[in-house]
Amino acid sequence: MEVLQNLAFGFGHALTPENLLYCAVGCVVGTLVGLLPGLGPLATISLLLPLTYSIPTGGALIMLAGIYYGAQYGDSVSAITMKIPHASSIVACIDGYQMTLKGKTGLALFTAGVSSFIGGTVAIVVLASLAPLLGSIALKFGPTDYCALMLFGFVCVSFVTTGSLLNGLAMCLLGVLLGQVGTDLETGMERFTMGLPSLIDGVSLVSLALGCFGIAEITKNLDAKEERTPFNGKIKLMPTWPEFKRIIPSALRGSVVGSFLGILPGGGPVIAQFAAYGLDKKVSKYKDEIGQGAIEGVAGQAAADEAAARTSFIPLMSIGIPENAVMALMMAAFIIKGIQPGPNMIAKHPDLFWGLVASMWVGNCFLLLLNVPLVRFWLSVFKIPYNVLFPSILFFCCVGTFSINNSLHDIYTTAAFGLIGYIMMRLAFDPAPLMLGFILGPMLEEYFRRSMLLSRGSFLTFFEHPISATLLSLLALFIGWQIFTTLRGRKAAAATEGETQPASS
Amino acid sequence: MLNQNVARGVFLAAVALFFASNALRYPIGDLAHAGPGLFPLLICVPLLIIAGAIIWQARLSAPVPLQFNPKNIVLIMASLVGFVVASEYVNAIAGIVVLVFIAGFAGTNYSWVRNIKIALGLIVVAYVFQRFLGLNLRLI
Repeated sequence: MEVLQNLAFGFGHALTPENLLYCAVGCVVGTLVGLLPGLGPLATISLLLPLTYSIPTGGALIMLAGIYYGAQYGDSVSAITMKIPHASSIVACIDGYQMTLKGKTGLALFTAGVSSFIGGTVAIVVLASLAPLLGSIALKFGPTDYCALMLFGFVCVSFVTTGSLLNGLAMCLLGVLLGQVGTDLETGMERFTMGLPSLIDGVSLVSLALGCFGIAEITKNLDAKEERTPFNGKIKLMPTWPEFKRIIPSALRGSVVGSFLGILPGGGPVIAQFAAYGLDKKVSKYKDEIGQGAIEGVAGQAAADEAAARTSFIPLMSIGIPENAVMALMMAAFIIKGIQPGPNMIAKHPDLFWGLVASMWVGNCFLLLLNVPLVRFWLSVFKIPYNVLFPSILFFCCVGTFSINNSLHDIYTTAAFGLIGYIMMRLAFDPAPLMLGFILGPMLEEYFRRSMLLSRGSFLTFFEHPISATLLSLLALFIGWQIFTTLRGRKAAAATEGETQPASS
Repeated sequence: MLNQNVARGVFLAAVALFFASNALRYPIGDLAHAGPGLFPLLICVPLLIIAGAIIWQARLSAPVPLQFNPKNIVLIMASLVGFVVASEYVNAIAGIVVLVFIAGFAGTNYSWVRNIKIALGLIVVAYVFQRFLGLNLRLI
């Protein structure tokens, strides 16, 4: 009952004409940029974050959330129609594109739109019920627990995002080190600034994000020299009743899977899509058709995608720890606006919290209205050649960087991170964990120093508190298991090599 | 041809050593009273270990050639620097023109006409940003 009251309070804020406008603008811009080749939700939020600086806090957060799930949806449209696989829509490429090849693009897009709506709605109920509960638990967290939770998040995100624990962890640590640049808050001493006044306040988040995700991504696409053919197929949107009936069970399964996986550290839309797709392949009535353009192959993963995108706000808003790189950027947006996400956020800013939750459902309706009937209009975005697009994106990177401090010189920092991002890309490093490390790094240092001060320099304090002890034990088990499987894999490979060599000689 | 896996480890080791050597220049303190250099130093240790592990792994697996095409990234960097310099010494309209014309060389084909159209479009966008969103960019 209390949840309903709170939601009604939230709708009161979300449905003001101003916030409705911000939500609509976020959904439209997010979908538009998410559709563009090579720009996923992370790059989209990085590019558009500076746009929200001049907007009131509530509206800015509603708009950013709209950009996020709008980009998420736009991403799946490009995957279904043109098989452009962004990180967040790889699964949509499988059955979605197969449906396009069979001439069922309209049905695939309708399925994705309706399933996303169902996924988003289920997730909002979960978010509204769980976030306050988790927030009250988070009040029991001490500095050691926060340290352990952040380390746990680093390892989970590193493994899930990159597939390689070593590479992902290296990026996280690199991000933490970049977060150390600037003035030490306890002693006031400058660190790693190399005498540059522009680094005294630290590395600019927008420069880092635009450099690593915007400029590096553009250069990668230019290197690939891919000429894409715009989608010109016919679209028949409305499904038949038997087709519509197939969407619902799969979308509901995906919603539950996505809502659950969105909350876990390192979770989020990508892993949720794979899990929902895998579940449908096991339990669906039409499991034999999945992989060849089945409705279930699109519905489950689309619902899981949107559900996870929304429930991934739960750890951020209730504990104050983002569980993936996109949420880390959202956290930065909260902090820029003077809001510290965490257990006290719901009590201190109920209008922001419940307004944001309610706006997600409003955004859901906008996405459904915008994307299902207007999908033909969105697909015309693909007709813009990349040679026209990339100078424009570069210009927006410049404007985005400039708008923070009104300083042209900040663009040099963005360019430098563009180069670093490009080098990392060529070295096959994923910059997403770097972003998480960069944003959480200063917090990790603060909590670590506080834990050490309270325990008079004893590391044992991490094992004296039950929450941190449990998290660190899980972490040790996971790393141990990783080392074990790597060594076992090497031994097996060596044995196979030994067996094949005498045979060939 | 450079092995991508080895280059990856070397890159990480270089970053870790850079931060560690600088961290040693700041007061370290002790664990109970950490100085500004202690935490970065503690982070550099696992990073250096990971760099070593990646180099060790690279020796055991098949080499992957490192592909690096400097042309496009150099052009993109030059266009950004050109935008800043032209905006600072002339105005943002000149900056946009410089950005579009230099970046255009990185595309699959080069067209003066297309570049002029893009530049004109971006100038209109910049004007809208300045007029309606309060962007403090000097256009003229």
